[in-house]
Amino acid sequence: MMDLAVRDIRHDLGRFVLTALGLGMLLSVVLAMTGIYNGMVVDATVLPDTLGADLWVVQRDTKGPFAESSRVPLRLAERLRAVPGVSRTRGYVSFNVQESGPDGKVQRFMLAGLSWPDDTGDRLQLAQGRPLRAPHYEIVADASLGLPLSTQLRIGRDLFTVVGVTSGMVSSGGDPILFVSVADALNIQNDLSNEALRLEGEARLARIRRSEYGRDPASLARAGQPGLPALTPPPVNAVLVDLEPGQDAAGVRERLEQWPDISVYTLDEQRGLLVRGVIDRARRQIGLFRALLVAISAIVMGLIVYTMTLDKMHSLALLKLLGARRRVILRLILEQSLLLGLLSFFVALLIGELLFGQFPRRVLVADGDRLSLAAVVAGISVAAGVVGLRKAMTADPNQVLAS
Amino acid sequence: MTTPARETVLHAENLSRVYGEGNMRVEALKPTSFAARAGEVMAILGPSGSGKSTLLTILGLINPPTTGSLRIGNVQVIENGQPRTSLERQRRQQIGFVFQRSNLIPFLTAHENVRLSLELDGVSSSESRGRARAMLENLGLGKRLDSLPARLSGGEAQRVAIARALIHQPSVVLADEPTASLDSGRGRQVMELFRDAAHSQGAAVLVVTHDHRTLDLVDRILEMEDGTLTERASAGTGAHT
Ligand SMILES: Nc1ncnc2c1ncn2[C@@H]1O[C@H](COP(=O)(O)OP(=O)(O)OP(=O)(O)O)[C@@H](O)[C@H]1O
Ligand SMILES: [Mg+2]
Repeated sequence: MMDLAVRDIRHDLGRFVLTALGLGMLLSVVLAMTGIYNGMVVDATVLPDTLGADLWVVQRDTKGPFAESSRVPLRLAERLRAVPGVSRTRGYVSFNVQESGPDGKVQRFMLAGLSWPDDTGDRLQLAQGRPLRAPHYEIVADASLGLPLSTQLRIGRDLFTVVGVTSGMVSSGGDPILFVSVADALNIQNDLSNEALRLEGEARLARIRRSEYGRDPASLARAGQPGLPALTPPPVNAVLVDLEPGQDAAGVRERLEQWPDISVYTLDEQRGLLVRGVIDRARRQIGLFRALLVAISAIVMGLIVYTMTLDKMHSLALLKLLGARRRVILRLILEQSLLLGLLSFFVALLIGELLFGQFPRRVLVADGDRLSLAAVVAGISVAAGVVGLRKAMTADPNQVLAS
Repeated sequence: MTTPARETVLHAENLSRVYGEGNMRVEALKPTSFAARAGEVMAILGPSGSGKSTLLTILGLINPPTTGSLRIGNVQVIENGQPRTSLERQRRQQIGFVFQRSNLIPFLTAHENVRLSLELDGVSSSESRGRARAMLENLGLGKRLDSLPARLSGGEAQRVAIARALIHQPSVVLADEPTASLDSGRGRQVMELFRDAAHSQGAAVLVVTHDHRTLDLVDRILEMEDGTLTERASAGTGAHT
């Protein structure tokens, strides 16, 4: 039996292809939604995953720097290093920075500290350049910031040089991460902009003038200078603890939990926190949106197949008149519906291939996602085919004679 | 198939058709009996609304009769108004249709439209290709095999439709005003085609027509009036073999 479905499509190929293109675009949005969600999951945990510490030691009764403000003294790192089973400790500090660049465009990024010299960023996936080689004024920046190697960059009051470029290193909010040494990060965090320093200096002067020191010109002069040495080194947000090989993380953790000033989390707990905090609402949001898009695609496809059937009613009546079996008509309609679905599916994949890389945030589509889209499209195609079939079954041979 | 020229291939007994009920009741076809032999070409004449198409759709197994029995070929298809077998299958195998407008499938070429008749009944595509090509070449359409219906002239399209109606060697060919949209020359050609086919294939051909110019080509003339079918005594000059 000749393939009637293909012959009918060939007869008006332009319309069929155009329809598949439109439907494919719709489906590509469904795929994009999945990819964006996956990207968010990966983005959310890429930082702790890359740092790869066994335990996160944070301020007592806080959930750590990803959830809330956590401050621990840098000296804690030394204390922790003395604990049996601990091989290495690193200070961790990170904070968000929003700056307007030279072109006036506002740029947001996260500044994260690498614990020089223990951690030079050698675990980072460097696309270009090298890890930190000096304790100061070197940056490893994410490619999405668009800073090429050797770029000189002023952050706070100092000039930094980009020595390495990562790809895909973003914070859970999707902002690119800029790595410097912990020491530099603390300086930047505590030395505010010149303007802020000036204001702070004036406020300090005013305070002192009001106090009895205000009568001593020498202390007045001293107080007016910016950057007074701090009494204690500024705190970090957490201390990362690496264990010796074969060490039981739970055991070490239990011991550390006895300490009065800290809480301890495993890497998985930190990841869980990030995923829950960032992803949960996004998942529901994107899930609903995706369901809506699938429903729209199904309705659109149903309408298209219905219209395609409507255009063929005379031929269908003629086929029935000639004694065509039911399954000839069944195959004609279902095959067209499935072919439309198939072509649309590949259009969606192609659009994904070409476009998803250009999205500002990570869009991650796995083979499993493609497979489930294929299943969804197959389901939609069959449903649309059934809509068409219901119409096709009403074709009446008498119509051929009446015309 | 070697059908003796005199074998009865169509036998209708008391076929009738009533549309509607009560006030709306129309007796479109009053109880009608007749037979057609292989190789016969019959014309059915009659004014509009007299029931010609009604008769044709019943003989063509498109609509069931209200009463009556019908035998086509060797198959008792309808008995006392009830189908005795798959009408769909009988349509595929035993009946060929031709209509006023050519009614070809617009997305199939001339060749494919003719093949369709065979392939709907399970003939392999290699066989259907050869037979359809031979048939169309025979009808002078060898150069139009791959043309879509929209590219055919009215006469060409009607010849393709006739090829489709004949290719599966049906027992009965039913035609409803097949020459209405053709000029008289082409109308005559079509009637000649029917006559040749009836003779060479041993089919009974029933043609509903208003075209009196071609009546000299038919063997028998039936007249329909208010649902009643009567045979005109003097037949045309159509020669028997
Ligand atoms: N489906 C139907 N329902 C009700 N009445 C019908 C139906 N089909 C036909 N009729 C009626 O049956 C009668 C016969 O109609 P039919 O179509 O058989 O006439 P006809 O001889 O083919 O006419 P024409 O030469 O105009 O084609 C008419 O009165 C018509 O109105
Ligand atoms: Mg009629």
